[in-house]
Amino acid sequence: MKRNWKMSIIACLAACVLLLAACTANNNTGGSGGEGDGEEKKVLRLNNGQEPTSLDPPEGFDSVSWVMVNNLMEGLTRLDENHQPQAAMAENWDVSEDGKVYTFYLRDDAKWSNGESVTANDFVYAWKHMLDPEQAYQPAFLAYVIEGAEAYNSGEGRADDVAIKAVDDKTFEVTLTSPTGYFLNLLTNPAFFPVNEKAAKENPEWFAEAESYVSNGPFKIDSWSHDKELIMAKNPEYWDADTVKLDQVNWAMVADTNTEYQMYQSGDLDRSSIPADNAKDLMDSEELVTEVQAGDQFLRFNVQKEPFTNEKIRKAFAMAMNRDDIAEFIRGIGEQPARGFVPYGFETPSGGDFREENGDLVQDDPEEAKKLLAEGMDEEGWGELPAVTLTYGTNTANERLAEGIQSMLSDNLGVDVELQTVESSVFSEEQTKLVYQLFRGSFLADYGDPVNFLESFTTESSSNRTGWSNEQYDKLIADSKTESDETKRFEMLMEAEKILLDEMPIMPLHFYQHVYLQKPHVKNVVMHPVGYLELKWADIE
Amino acid sequence: MAIYLIRRFLIMIATIFVIATMTFILMHSIPGNPFTTQDRSTSEAVQENLNAHYHLDEPMLTQYGIWLKSLVTFDFGPSIKQPTETVNDLLSRGFPISAELGMWTIMIALLSGITLGVLAALKHNGMIDYIAMTLAVLGISVPNFILATLLIQQLAVNLQLLPAATWSSPMHMIMPIIALATGPTAIIARLTRSSMLEVLTQDYIKTARAKGLSPAKIVIKHALRNALMPVVTILGTLVAAILTGTFVIERIFAIPGMGKYFVESINNRDYPVIMGTTVFYSAFLIFMLFLVDIVYSILDPRIKLHKKGGS
Repeated sequence: MKRNWKMSIIACLAACVLLLAACTANNNTGGSGGEGDGEEKKVLRLNNGQEPTSLDPPEGFDSVSWVMVNNLMEGLTRLDENHQPQAAMAENWDVSEDGKVYTFYLRDDAKWSNGESVTANDFVYAWKHMLDPEQAYQPAFLAYVIEGAEAYNSGEGRADDVAIKAVDDKTFEVTLTSPTGYFLNLLTNPAFFPVNEKAAKENPEWFAEAESYVSNGPFKIDSWSHDKELIMAKNPEYWDADTVKLDQVNWAMVADTNTEYQMYQSGDLDRSSIPADNAKDLMDSEELVTEVQAGDQFLRFNVQKEPFTNEKIRKAFAMAMNRDDIAEFIRGIGEQPARGFVPYGFETPSGGDFREENGDLVQDDPEEAKKLLAEGMDEEGWGELPAVTLTYGTNTANERLAEGIQSMLSDNLGVDVELQTVESSVFSEEQTKLVYQLFRGSFLADYGDPVNFLESFTTESSSNRTGWSNEQYDKLIADSKTESDETKRFEMLMEAEKILLDEMPIMPLHFYQHVYLQKPHVKNVVMHPVGYLELKWADIE
Repeated sequence: MAIYLIRRFLIMIATIFVIATMTFILMHSIPGNPFTTQDRSTSEAVQENLNAHYHLDEPMLTQYGIWLKSLVTFDFGPSIKQPTETVNDLLSRGFPISAELGMWTIMIALLSGITLGVLAALKHNGMIDYIAMTLAVLGISVPNFILATLLIQQLAVNLQLLPAATWSSPMHMIMPIIALATGPTAIIARLTRSSMLEVLTQDYIKTARAKGLSPAKIVIKHALRNALMPVVTILGTLVAAILTGTFVIERIFAIPGMGKYFVESINNRDYPVIMGTTVFYSAFLIFMLFLVDIVYSILDPRIKLHKKGGS
């Protein structure tokens, strides 16, 4: 009897523990914000997919870092809802007549999250740190438009010769090597964000933990459990704090998109990407949100390997594609077919769209393709087309695309290509050595200007990887960088794009798109085409 | 015994050294480097700076020297992919989480596996046997990632009983433990059953019965002890594999363990992390195998460690 009594107490205790555990779990996973807390907190729950590479602004040169850094920090300019750069840390600026010297006047109320003032010196410190060759920051090359920057970063010049200076606490002056039409846009890239010099000198690893992170943007880090969760809180010191509606942003780090989607379904996340297998069913969802992404997928021809030494054969391959089918059936997530290299969404000086104004530079025309193939083979004196292998980095999406292209080439051109899949890192390395013949390529913009796309195919560019070289093209790109007249600059870029697609060292396939699901109560989350997420205006209703 | 331990320890060190060297050679013989990107541009100068920063521009022999030093001091330096953290940070953060999940998994797999196996053997060709073995076959043939996804869909999305993923409360642990333990449970159940069947027919069991011992005592004290030898054999490898994290289950449930570093470090060519995880895992595995040997001698007094040491 006595023993039974003891047992039941233990059983009761065990039940209580279980119950408690269940309750805490429910609280953690409950709806957005603490309901019943009196005043409702606005909490947005997002998934970053993984731990950010680094929250040191120039160190995390990828989208998983940018989405966070862009909300924690702010540069001289910030992109608005229409993806145009607007005054941010800088209240206004002067540009010299030759377009080379920019003088930025920082806001008086520009503050760090620790209450200190954001000064011109913070920018000087951050930019020189970014360019320091010993730090080896990947985006340093973006700053080569600044006088002395390339020399310093290549180890040939001195830090003191980089033409940036703090005229006084709130005045920051930059001298460029040439007038750079997209400079204000470039400044929105996190690589150009300031760093609190004092905090960084006291603790060189200031960006590694929540406690030491000093931010100047709409949010600050409230807590950070590495690899697990990062919680941002509204930054009351932010100059435009009144605009910020959210109290808190919880970032999960869930790598698996199926899990992410299941968490979205069970109400643990407010926003989710779309698992590849569910894409077709979810395309009609009312919670689907799509936004332009500045990037495209294409194939590179190795112009030094037969048969792609011949321009007509390259064109024949490019024209044998059915790009509408690629976008609609192979990709199936509502993307645009690409008949040019620069994506939609870049505004020209006249207010038009770069892509629309420069038109379709490659047609889907199987008849013409066959003709060109025959002509090309005649020119080379080939009775039979040399064997062609299409190579891509191993993953399911690439495989589907490659199989689609294979069947289009077979149906429309009568050419049988072999497919070859290669582990991704090997693929990246070997394509720079021009090992492959015909291979998959993709490009995502670093900053919002067409030149970022087109400069990839200059002779010297590390992204060229085709062996293609055209003097006139190189000159147009170089000249566009020194042109201060925006209209002329865009004309040059359009001209360059025409040359690129006339000689066809690459064949564009489709433009990318940001596609995700978002709960209806979430409003005004902006995803910029270049890949920074903007939560400054985000709200929960 | 002491001599055996010392010998064994020296062999362990030598093995780790060989594994480490082979990892180094293999790692550097695959093409690709940590900084190649497909989607973004970069410049020559930046590449050179990066190579210099991580000593990748030094001759292979120097890199090997640097690496041996890091091995001896057990300081693998910063990860290349997550430069703000050192490999030791990653391991010391990820391992306790993987180990916690792993401990529960092993405990549950052992308890339920042995119970099922013993029951099945005792009721040989009976209803319980068939049920237990059907479960075991299912457990072995359904991959854990399918089970995991099914569990999330049913228990979290449809019934909303448990949180779908992440790692913060005991409730979060239930599904990953079930998903992870099912396979080992099935293996242990089958092993226990077959060796139990064998043991039960042996003469000393008959003797025990003849002596009039209670069935429970026969099973637990006499039969199980010998029947568990094969289970102990696989346990060393199993524990090492599960405690150091499993890539798939940790990924599906977004558990911040160390499983992902094994796979991702290789994809990313994150050399310091590849080295750190490989050495850690092999050291752990070798240590577990050593423990298994000791457990053998406890379970079967006929096994003498010092004799085995010579082999």
